[in-house]
Amino acid sequence: MNTEFEKIDRRTFLQSATALGAAGTVLPLAGLSAGSALAQTDQKIVFATWSAAVDQVKSHISAFEASTKISVAYENAPGAQFRQFLTTKFVGKAPLDVMWLSDAWLPEFADAGWLAPIDKYPALTKYNADLQKYCVDSMTYKGRQYGSVYYTDFMAFLYNEEILEKAGISRPPTTWDEVVEQSIKIKQKNLVEHPMLLSLEADATWFIEFVSTLVFSFGGKLVGPDGKSVMQDPKGGAAAAMKWVQDAIQKHKIVSPAALSTPEINGLKAFGAGQHAFGIIPRYRIRPLNNPAESKVAGKVRMALMPKGGPDGTHATCGWVRFYGMSASAQANAARLANSLKLIEWFGGRALGEYKFQKMILLDIGLPYCTKPLDSDPDVVKFYKTYLGGSDIVHKQAALTQKKDVISPWFGEWNENNIRAWQKGFMNQAPITTVLAQSGKEWDTLSARK
Amino acid sequence: MLHPSPGRGRFSYDERIALLLLSPALVVLAVVAVYPIFHSFYTSLFDVNLTRPHRMPFVGFDNYALMFGDERFWIAVRHTTTYTIVSVLGTAGLALLVALLLNEAFHGKRVLSMILLIPWATPSIVNGLMWKWIYDSSYGSLNALLSQFGLIDDYVVWLADPDKTVYLVAQAAIWKQMPLAAILLLVTMKAIPDDLYRAAKVDGASVLRRFYHVTLPALKPGFLLVFVYETMIAIRHFDLFAIMTQGGPGDATLTLSWLTYVETFRSLKFGTGSALAFILSALTFLLSFGIIRLLGNKK
Repeated sequence: MNTEFEKIDRRTFLQSATALGAAGTVLPLAGLSAGSALAQTDQKIVFATWSAAVDQVKSHISAFEASTKISVAYENAPGAQFRQFLTTKFVGKAPLDVMWLSDAWLPEFADAGWLAPIDKYPALTKYNADLQKYCVDSMTYKGRQYGSVYYTDFMAFLYNEEILEKAGISRPPTTWDEVVEQSIKIKQKNLVEHPMLLSLEADATWFIEFVSTLVFSFGGKLVGPDGKSVMQDPKGGAAAAMKWVQDAIQKHKIVSPAALSTPEINGLKAFGAGQHAFGIIPRYRIRPLNNPAESKVAGKVRMALMPKGGPDGTHATCGWVRFYGMSASAQANAARLANSLKLIEWFGGRALGEYKFQKMILLDIGLPYCTKPLDSDPDVVKFYKTYLGGSDIVHKQAALTQKKDVISPWFGEWNENNIRAWQKGFMNQAPITTVLAQSGKEWDTLSARK
Repeated sequence: MLHPSPGRGRFSYDERIALLLLSPALVVLAVVAVYPIFHSFYTSLFDVNLTRPHRMPFVGFDNYALMFGDERFWIAVRHTTTYTIVSVLGTAGLALLVALLLNEAFHGKRVLSMILLIPWATPSIVNGLMWKWIYDSSYGSLNALLSQFGLIDDYVVWLADPDKTVYLVAQAAIWKQMPLAAILLLVTMKAIPDDLYRAAKVDGASVLRRFYHVTLPALKPGFLLVFVYETMIAIRHFDLFAIMTQGGPGDATLTLSWLTYVETFRSLKFGTGSALAFILSALTFLLSFGIIRLLGNKK
């Protein structure tokens, strides 16, 4: 028997997946692993995204094809499974040239050798001067830049102005203690049952961003500068953040216990129906919330700085960058490389001299850009005025935005158990110190792994 | 009809023809079932993590030891056991009542039989989504119903309550599995000779005594089938957990099949995932074997 597994090829991978299914446990899921068997021609670019902004992507692809005569095979898969979708494609050597990536997956995919750095292509790096530095940093790993920005965003503290007015509250809360006080006041006036919205389902796309936001706002960190876990510090921000949510659910009853089975989209609908006064929500969601066609509370939703917690608290929040990456296999083929660079520039840079896609996704669905020149665009200014009452608050919060400190090659593996640990803490199923110690220990074990 | 001369070697002509006709199916089975099982076992002996494709060392049975030493595994065993017991006993018990009802002659029996089959015909995904909606604490129909009847003052949290979740998923499984179990028991019931009941009546046995001394013992083969089948389904159950709870909240519905899924398809660790799949298969086999030994003897 071999003492080392051969480098996995698609055949081996498919055999493994089928084998697991046949063992009688997970057969329905084996289809997840089946990569496309379609042969790829050098002239066709395979572009994979998660299932978002589909109409905008399709229309921009059509314009690209018309302008360049290069064909694009567009594929999309659900966001919650997109990391696995990409992994199976990479492992199975399925055709794939350009894809959306999360900053959280970059180290894992780069270390696996699946991504190609783009920093030696001036056609793409020339746009760096127009980007916020935070965005370029988020696409950089071990000194190499791996992408061009799709969008950037942060967790925002949104509130329903009308509910606050009815409760006689003149300004939004600035600390988490004030959130509790104002929520209790709102509850006492029978305005809403659970004033604070949290969407904490285990499969939630934004779970780690939510947790990081709370921890940062309590002045804490999950991981220290030396890469070792600090989340287990009983006096640190993580423990205080977990305790705050636990109390909000169980003691103050300002957050519904059902939060733990609430997907973000359901929470958003509830907020749009006027069932909550406060919420930690990705900023781009303010567009549907303030759109009369999609929300009953349109025009009443406003953004405030993230409240701060405890003596070391700050108004910091957690931000993220999603970007266009290129596969190593595309880079290895001259024709595919040339076409892929053109497609990435079309989406992440300028298309026919304009930042078209960045502007389109902001205006159509609210996805914020990273491109500074758009700040002065009249349509963009109007957008912020319409949906946020102006862009000042956005700039203030953006300046306090921090990158997730858990981004690492083992993030995906660690986060599976980390989510369970936080849920257990929120529900008081286990002591806060215990669940955080377990999560921290797992982090350190994975980081020490060769 | 031709009568070929006796074949040469160990197999007769008829046996060789039979083997020839069966061979396509055997080849398919070997490719899609036998080989993958062996390959899965092979995979379970390596530290295979898809996101670390360049390093996959042979670890022998370490993956099995790793899982047995993992707190999550024992939590999953506990929840799988609870879920299996509740869903199998619930299904069998309810199925018995329904079978007894359908064994009687009454007006509208055919219509009722058809209606009772609806849950069984409902796809698992639909079943899961339906119950998830029913149990939703904000807009679910269960809370609305209980509230309308004045049975609750505040809406109850169902699926997010760790103390209730496993039982609620088991209930959704019972709803779906019960019709098939009822049919299996009804078929067995129909085969009980009337003479036995008549003899019991002549001996003065009451309805209850006839049930305990005639019906129940005669239903043993039906129960055997129901218990083995439902146990195999329950111990490996995945769909409802995926749709209704995602293994949560926290660890509340972490079962062996969910843990296998998480290890394999979310953490992408095929080595430990394969090991778990084998442990689960072995448990299923042992339990089924145990039930057959317990209920299957002739005495």
